[in-house]
Amino acid sequence: MRMPRAIALLACTAALAATTAACSGATAPRPAVGGTGADFEVTPLSPPAKGNLDSFTWSLYAEPYTLDYALAYDYPPNTVLANVCEQLFRVTPDMKIEPGLALKYTQPDPRTLVYTLRPGVKFHDGTTMTADDVVASLKRQMDPATGSPWGSVFKNVDAIEKTGPLEVTLRLGKADILLNELMAASPGTIESAAYLAKAGKDYGTPKGGVNCTGPFSLASWDAGSGITLKKNAAYWDPKLTAKSESVKFNFIEDPAARTSAFLSGTSDGGYMVASNSYDKLRSSGKGSLIFGPNTAASNIAVLDFHGPLGNLKVRQALSMALDRKNIIKAAAGGVGVPAKAPAARGAWALSPEKTAAIYDTLPEPVYDIEAAKKLIQEAGVSGRTITLATSTLAPEISVVANAVQDAGRKIGLDVKLKSVAPEAYSNIFVDPNAREGLDLVITQGYDNTPDALEFYQYLRTGDFGNYGNWSNAEYDVAFDRANSEPDTAKRADKTAELQKIALRELPILSVFEAPYSVFLGKRITGAPTGIAQLYYPWAATIGAAK
Amino acid sequence: MTRYLVGRLLGLVAVLFVTSLVVFGAIHLAPGDPVTFLLHGRPATPEAVAALRTQYHLDDPMAVQYAKWLGGVLTGDFGTSAQFHQDVTDLIASRLPGTALLVAYAALLVALIGVGSGILAALRPGPLDRTVLIGTGVATATPSFVTAIALVSLFSVQLGWFPGPGGTPVGFSQQIYHLTLPAFALAMTFAGLLARVTRTAMLDELGREHVEVARARGVAGRTVVRRHVLRNALGPVVTVGGTMLAGLLISTSIVETAFDVPGLGSLLVSSVTAQDFAVVQAITLLSVAAFVLVNLLVDLLAPLIDPRLSLHGEGSS
Repeated sequence: MRMPRAIALLACTAALAATTAACSGATAPRPAVGGTGADFEVTPLSPPAKGNLDSFTWSLYAEPYTLDYALAYDYPPNTVLANVCEQLFRVTPDMKIEPGLALKYTQPDPRTLVYTLRPGVKFHDGTTMTADDVVASLKRQMDPATGSPWGSVFKNVDAIEKTGPLEVTLRLGKADILLNELMAASPGTIESAAYLAKAGKDYGTPKGGVNCTGPFSLASWDAGSGITLKKNAAYWDPKLTAKSESVKFNFIEDPAARTSAFLSGTSDGGYMVASNSYDKLRSSGKGSLIFGPNTAASNIAVLDFHGPLGNLKVRQALSMALDRKNIIKAAAGGVGVPAKAPAARGAWALSPEKTAAIYDTLPEPVYDIEAAKKLIQEAGVSGRTITLATSTLAPEISVVANAVQDAGRKIGLDVKLKSVAPEAYSNIFVDPNAREGLDLVITQGYDNTPDALEFYQYLRTGDFGNYGNWSNAEYDVAFDRANSEPDTAKRADKTAELQKIALRELPILSVFEAPYSVFLGKRITGAPTGIAQLYYPWAATIGAAK
Repeated sequence: MTRYLVGRLLGLVAVLFVTSLVVFGAIHLAPGDPVTFLLHGRPATPEAVAALRTQYHLDDPMAVQYAKWLGGVLTGDFGTSAQFHQDVTDLIASRLPGTALLVAYAALLVALIGVGSGILAALRPGPLDRTVLIGTGVATATPSFVTAIALVSLFSVQLGWFPGPGGTPVGFSQQIYHLTLPAFALAMTFAGLLARVTRTAMLDELGREHVEVARARGVAGRTVVRRHVLRNALGPVVTVGGTMLAGLLISTSIVETAFDVPGLGSLLVSSVTAQDFAVVQAITLLSVAAFVLVNLLVDLLAPLIDPRLSLHGEGSS
């Protein structure tokens, strides 16, 4: 049986970025690739709610393994937390970053970040948020005992200090704009210091719970069966006051069962719908399937630059021989577009005025078997063998793996598929020993911010997300330049340098970008549709459809 | 009797001990690394990985890990779930009622449908018997996940009579309502098998001499069936039924996953995927314990149903 939980696991492995269409306002419908299925369009919002609700039921494809913000790095926990615990900033449905628990930040010098906190914000237990809570919440991410996967975000932080009743200062060893941006994601989440101390090791579990500031509070968590949130009447932001008195989450791992839950009405809606149920949901008349902006991308990372793929011509040839349109048909139900670069369009949403010049003008990926064959011959690697890891972890992986094998056959490369267990597949991204003997791995991941720089950091020399140990001095220098540029437009230009090098050197082959998906039953509407839901209180805007 | 019981209980302990060794060994030989799951696949610094390995005692020698674990189990502490950051004991306690209710409901259906149709088939040769034979053939041959999909698409999506997966029942009667389709999906295969066993046992008994004699002496048909046929046929039915109860426990994982019933089966599936050692070990151990206990109960029940059997297992008929 397929385990959707594993897909998310994989999605997080690479932390790579990309997206589909424009992120502000609806885009013109795109013809589905290959001419099958309906056309799709990408909109950041569903139609607004017409009234309030008592309650609605939302389906997660897996139970959150925790509600501890420091450990939350996956779709299910973040989908729940987005409504309960807030960050210093928030990512909006149209992929902007706006103030949250912080009113603003200033940067008196490149190595100092000063956050001014919003006054009068109350935690769910009624206590008022102060700078002490912010210091405790952020410091906890850095404590090795927490075991936070976000720890590395704070690698340049020397000190986190309270510099006023409502002011917190971060002192850095090195300029780091990404750190500041990630204050709009899990790393910037604020919890009550007193509650953290009281809950101890039970924090974020069904037993310990959480106590934050969001438009909903955690009412109950029955391990295994459901989570219930209830409206926070004292919420500070009137424009996001919850329209529903409560939200009930269920966890349905089996994709077929999840589709049945949507169709039978036991679930009013859910994010991340399995692509093989798109047609069934669309034709059911039981609700609407809507696509939203996404920062996720499907790529192939080169793991070994000493083998045949060390030759740039071989990487170019393989990229040219990928039948991306058919891959999209098989892996994403036709809903997606071939990717032009490893970090795709949506990753540039922070500076939309630059997106057209930086991303849209890139050439479409070329599909040319003859030219690819010639490159392989020039490289002198005809008949050589390369090995690609494949797994049943997610159906997309086997689709892409088979496509790579097929591409190899057509251009004179023998692509061996090495099938590994789902856990072992995820291990490839964590343990360098697990990469031995592998030339390529298929990655799927999302960016937490709408900034392409978050994606491109993983190609720096020595970064632990740089699975193939690719190294390019020009790239490393360009990265530091971009990461010390506070102006978003200028940073986009500097990040474009990184994109240029990556496209020239191809340490990663880009495959396709698919939009985010949400199903809304007939009873409800008002949900943001895109991946911003991970850090935006999406449930607050959901209300009655009529 | 006491000696017999003590012997059986010692055997149970031995079985559990061997199981614990096998489960512990097997899970540590499996590929993959629990650290991967703990990190949720995110690239991590070597320091973070080392900290996690220490926290979950992954670098201790296996014998040490086993001893620590067994020591915990004996005091009711099954460790901490790496996946859910909770005590395994709490986790299992929260899932057990769901599975128990589902198994009880399914067992009831198996007994009613299986024994009922078996008796009917044996007593009414002809079209009815043939229908039961065909029906049970289909029921036993259909895997429960197929039955599950069929039941959901017909009764909850098309007809809307029963709730689909992911409902949130409140109260006992709603829970029973929600569990009806899963219980049927779980019960069908076993009911089919039990019907066949019952039918055969009944036919065996019907053909026996004392039944013929009773009939010849003019004892009423109903009484013959109840006192001579059914009672004697019940022995094999109970024995097979007992093993089935254990089988039901094991099969819940598929049905719970298909219907999103929060139980031990679906927990086991997700824990295996996540390499959540502590949870897999605990559930496996509990399943084996339940299996052995059910068998013991069946053995103890058998002589009560059929006095010809003594507790020493020596038939004396």
